[in-house]
Amino acid sequence: MATLVKNLRSLCTIANVGRTTVPRLGAVSVLRHVNERHQSPVQNVLVSGASLQPKKNLLAFPQLPLFLVLVSSQPRRWYGGKQPLTLDTIQKRVDLVLKLYDKINPEKLTPDSHFMNDLGLDSLDQVEIIMAIEDEFGFEIPDADSERLMRPRDIVQYIADKEDIFD
Amino acid sequence: MAASTRTKVLSLYKELLKESKRVTDYNFRNYALRRTRDAFKENKAITDAGQIQALVVKAQENLEMLRRQATVSQLFGSEKLIIESQPKGAG
Repeated sequence: MATLVKNLRSLCTIANVGRTTVPRLGAVSVLRHVNERHQSPVQNVLVSGASLQPKKNLLAFPQLPLFLVLVSSQPRRWYGGKQPLTLDTIQKRVDLVLKLYDKINPEKLTPDSHFMNDLGLDSLDQVEIIMAIEDEFGFEIPDADSERLMRPRDIVQYIADKEDIFD
Repeated sequence: MAASTRTKVLSLYKELLKESKRVTDYNFRNYALRRTRDAFKENKAITDAGQIQALVVKAQENLEMLRRQATVSQLFGSEKLIIESQPKGAG
């Protein structure tokens, strides 16, 4: 019985050491550089404990919990990118842009309706539509190409060709 | 109207609208957009070649002026009007 209690107590102390050393490791690594000459036995123990940790340099922020330090050390890219396009999403976005244009009646709009013949727009309005599409998809449409884009279906097809989307 | 004049006028229209959008001040920006649209709409029925040529020259002068003014307006930024502020969560 006595040995059991003793073992239990030693286990507890080990756990305590573990709990207290982990947050201090960062501080200790600084301390180690400062007092290299006068190391107390306690610090010796702690420093040897630190060497057990796989990545000491991760513990530069002793105030952070360990898991946070590990998570934030993962390489991560923060680039902006555009959403992957499909024919379906292009179709929806073109549709939305056209519906929001004030001179188009949304009820008359179909993928095959001609801007001038069916919707009653003129060439100036068509230029404005192309500009709105340019803003939506973030690239320029040259004048020579924009002349041919007279139906929503043409626009969708043109954007799909430009963005290399085939299915 | 010859095809080349037509493309020229349309590209002038596009350029003017693009430059108008660069102006930072809300009132001047919308004035430029409105003025461009109105002027082109007003003169879209003209078929006389000489008259068209004169208007094209005028548009080019205005385009240069608008370019300068848009750049100047970007150098001296103006505060946004309340009407321009997006409600939270929009946009």
